[in-house]
Amino acid sequence: MGCGTMRSFLALLHAEFVTILRDKATLAFTFAFPVLFVLIFGPLMGGSGGSQAAHIGLIITDGASSDVLKEVITYAGTITVTDFGDELALEEALGKQQVDFGLMWNGGSLRFLYDPSRVQENYTFQELAQGIASAFDLRHQNLKPVLVINKVHIGKAAATNWFNLVVPGILAFSIFSAGLFAVSGHLTAMKERKLLDRLVVTPMRPVTLLAAIACVRLAIVYISTLVTLFTAIGVLHLTFSVNWFYYTIFVIAATLASMGFGTIIALLVRRPGSASNVANIISIVMMFLAGVYFPVEITPSYLRAFSKALPLTYMANAMRYVTGVSDMTLVRFWAITGTLFALGLILFPFLARYVVRVDRR
Amino acid sequence: MMSANEGLVHVADLTKHYGEVHAVDGISFSVARASVFTLLGPNGAGKTTTLEILEGIRNPDSGKIEFFGHRISHVDRKEKARMGVLLQEGNFEPYLKVKEVLRLFASFFANPLPVEKILDMIALQEKQHAYVKTLSGGQKQRLALGAALINNPDLVFLDEPTTGLDPQARRNIWSIVTNLKTQDKGIILTTHYMEEAEALSDHVCIMDHGKIIAEGSPQELSAQLGQETIIEFTAGEATDDSISLLESGCKAARMDGDQVTVETEDLISTMEHLLAWAKKRDIELKNMVVRQPNLEDVFLSLTGRRIRD
Amino acid sequence: MKAILLVTLERLTTAFRERVTLFWFIIFPMFLLVMLTLIFGNIGKQGQMSFSVALANMETSSGGPADFSALVESIFQEVAKPTEEEEEPLFSLAQPAAGEDKDAFIAREKEAVRLGNLSALIVIGNGFNQDLMGNITGQDSATGSQSTITVYQNQGNTGSEMATSIIAQIISRIDREILAKTGRFDEQKAVPIETDWIGSAEGEVPYVDFLLPGIILMGFFLTGLFGVPESILFARDRQILRRYWVTPLTVPRYIAGFSLGHVALCIVQFFFLYLLGRFAFGASLRFDRIEPVAFLFLSSLTFLAFGFLIASIAKTANAGMAIANILNMPMMFLGGLFFPISGLPPVLKAIVFANPLTYLAEGLRVSLGVETGALSTLLTIVVPLFWIALCLLIASRRLKWDVGR
Repeated sequence: MGCGTMRSFLALLHAEFVTILRDKATLAFTFAFPVLFVLIFGPLMGGSGGSQAAHIGLIITDGASSDVLKEVITYAGTITVTDFGDELALEEALGKQQVDFGLMWNGGSLRFLYDPSRVQENYTFQELAQGIASAFDLRHQNLKPVLVINKVHIGKAAATNWFNLVVPGILAFSIFSAGLFAVSGHLTAMKERKLLDRLVVTPMRPVTLLAAIACVRLAIVYISTLVTLFTAIGVLHLTFSVNWFYYTIFVIAATLASMGFGTIIALLVRRPGSASNVANIISIVMMFLAGVYFPVEITPSYLRAFSKALPLTYMANAMRYVTGVSDMTLVRFWAITGTLFALGLILFPFLARYVVRVDRR
Repeated sequence: MMSANEGLVHVADLTKHYGEVHAVDGISFSVARASVFTLLGPNGAGKTTTLEILEGIRNPDSGKIEFFGHRISHVDRKEKARMGVLLQEGNFEPYLKVKEVLRLFASFFANPLPVEKILDMIALQEKQHAYVKTLSGGQKQRLALGAALINNPDLVFLDEPTTGLDPQARRNIWSIVTNLKTQDKGIILTTHYMEEAEALSDHVCIMDHGKIIAEGSPQELSAQLGQETIIEFTAGEATDDSISLLESGCKAARMDGDQVTVETEDLISTMEHLLAWAKKRDIELKNMVVRQPNLEDVFLSLTGRRIRD
Repeated sequence: MKAILLVTLERLTTAFRERVTLFWFIIFPMFLLVMLTLIFGNIGKQGQMSFSVALANMETSSGGPADFSALVESIFQEVAKPTEEEEEPLFSLAQPAAGEDKDAFIAREKEAVRLGNLSALIVIGNGFNQDLMGNITGQDSATGSQSTITVYQNQGNTGSEMATSIIAQIISRIDREILAKTGRFDEQKAVPIETDWIGSAEGEVPYVDFLLPGIILMGFFLTGLFGVPESILFARDRQILRRYWVTPLTVPRYIAGFSLGHVALCIVQFFFLYLLGRFAFGASLRFDRIEPVAFLFLSSLTFLAFGFLIASIAKTANAGMAIANILNMPMMFLGGLFFPISGLPPVLKAIVFANPLTYLAEGLRVSLGVETGALSTLLTIVVPLFWIALCLLIASRRLKWDVGR
């Protein structure tokens, strides 16, 4: 790089950097967004994680023996029990979501009562209920279960809770959308607001501008992921064992690749305003289908196949690896990271030059 | 027309088509040092397209372009290093300060002028620490001009530099342009303001529908209309029929709304005829102006339309 | 009146000619409805979920009626078969090939679990049959123990957790079946189990019936939160409004026309979403009663008022959009539109209870018969009304209808 190009690069770097710093609204949003995601989506989606905690409303009809039932319930999982005197009170409590489901035992049959509107949770409650019913059935005939499952955890030190698994996915998602919008949002907005025109008629090389944008975005994304990670650790009391070298390499690669994908969108979708809309749709699809918040195994087969084609799926997996949440072979990690690097280095500067070119026929 | 050796830019048979539309239709011209070369014409005449070809933004379909004595196939960094371009449309990052914008543009060139000198030239010293988003339209245009001059270019392109500006801002820009001429620079200016072309230009090419329909200095072009004198007045009561009767006493008379324009080579006879005509039809002659022909009249005589139409 | 109606028309025309509006207020909610219904619509149902599981039966004393390991194995194999309707089975089951070294198989599959390529590995140990027989016969003794089936899982993999939980259920079923087969468990004396639902529903509410009201409200919410301040602030900043103020058109008349336009936009949104939900996903909600219509109208007004509030707080259009963006996610996701909001930490619960969307979503769903409602009907009306009053009070004092004044 000649010293003229270096001087341009440093000047563009400075201009890009101060522009972002001075646009307080955008800056706040860039850092606040992923943190909000963690703080809101973490607890929200935690309910679909299949945890076996529940609050049962119990009615034991007068005269029926309840010792066995209560003993079975105690062993079934993390369950709190509230006794109710009559069905009306139980129904009311269910409707108000003061209890998760109801269990009535009249000495002869077990009756489970659910709130039909809790569509996403009832599956978990019914699983729990089935477990209670099975165990109770045996105990009712003075039998004990003869089989027991011995769970052996293989892999990294057991995650403290569900959020531990979710946060790396959120980090991956925030990297992906930041990179995507750096091009299909920021760069195309520059184009639309005619900020590029005056630059393009000078000897400034487009690749210098793109390198400056990439560097600033990389720095911001990296810092943003750190802020999010430390928020998760401090506020949600999560633990990670981060390999900082791999983490850094991966964040750089993922950001570059995401900018590359953003470039593809910007090239295919001519109107700059529409490019950011398309980027929004794509990032939302990815967020739901890349296994960030819930396992893709619960989705229909065609969506599962689709998720295998999504870059975010692999980014989320790699992020779980570098934050010490789950395992991966080194070969696979470097394959993912290397592919992301290659995509970024090819797509972003090569194709982005066409985005930067003043749009003339 | 000067020879290629003398000019900073020499263009021959330049064309650019968009389907059936001939945006630039085989034009040729040269631009010399220490002169202001103006492309004058209405919107859609091909002025900006021509300029954008020379700025390297568009590609011509055919024609020859020479910059600084060298034939080029396309404008690259070498030519851009010696050019300064003020685009018709464009913005700066609103969160940058004036001085930062100039420093940024300075970094693109090997030997830029000191930023303080440019600030002085464009009279924005007091605004050097102001954010771009706080500048007025005229100040933004001066900043754009400063960015175009930061590399002390030999050749400066000014595409509609005063469109949308108030009269004071316009005069500021004119003063800068006039100063550039004294620095031995070649300036290519496009405008649809006749008075701007008359005030600044050494050589004017009038363009219409992609072609140069006339060229010369403003005085030479006006002289094409001979010893003509123009009489203009407002006469709301006049009709097309009555105007046609007026023509017998002059070279030409036409009506545009309630504005009447009379061309004559014999001012006194025409005035007598005009006054008699007005008295006979009881027409009040308001806002009467008697003047020499200008570039607008030249365009009108060549095309039958006004530049502003 | 004519002026008001024309302002209404202007609002609608502008909204539909701007692609951005069409995208965010019509296409995006429709897209979200489709995607969420496809993903969550059949959760837990056959053919929806599928986990990759491996099973190794290490029992060497096989064959005969006491071959419980073979029973366990066959039950898992049964679960891994496609159903009669050709639906995808719950498990795709990998087992050692004929002649394959089982220890090598186990080692390989453990590694797959570790790397997240396999959800769970089930191992029936050698000696399982004898051990189980002993436990069955020892049922009568106080010290009867249980035979273990080892399941290797990865707690760092959410799919593995779910698969393990399902395996535990299946094993519990097997447990009972074994006790029944060995004559210990009397099926005739099995405790009858009934399942019931509160309210007038005869079963689970279809997910699309739960989701559609939420998506409709989301559409109204986005229109109010983003569309209202954007329209007003951009028109103000570009001095478009100023052109109106120099005519006899007064601000109140403009507001009336603008508000009517907003409600009309919401009606259009509603129809697009309702038709999609009904004809693409079989939503069975009935909107032809006064209560749901009233809640829809109340929602539209609530978000209109919110939009005015934001327009009065923000200095510029860009600032308005930034504020809307910051409020958007917490309000939308902590309002019970898409995901259950029970079991949240106190801070988030506070946002839920302050959020007008929470009340509107519940009120709408209750009025449609989708749920019985945790909150009182009065609250679902009063709280949004309170927000409308608060927003309008602040906006009436602060909202500037012209720049530089």
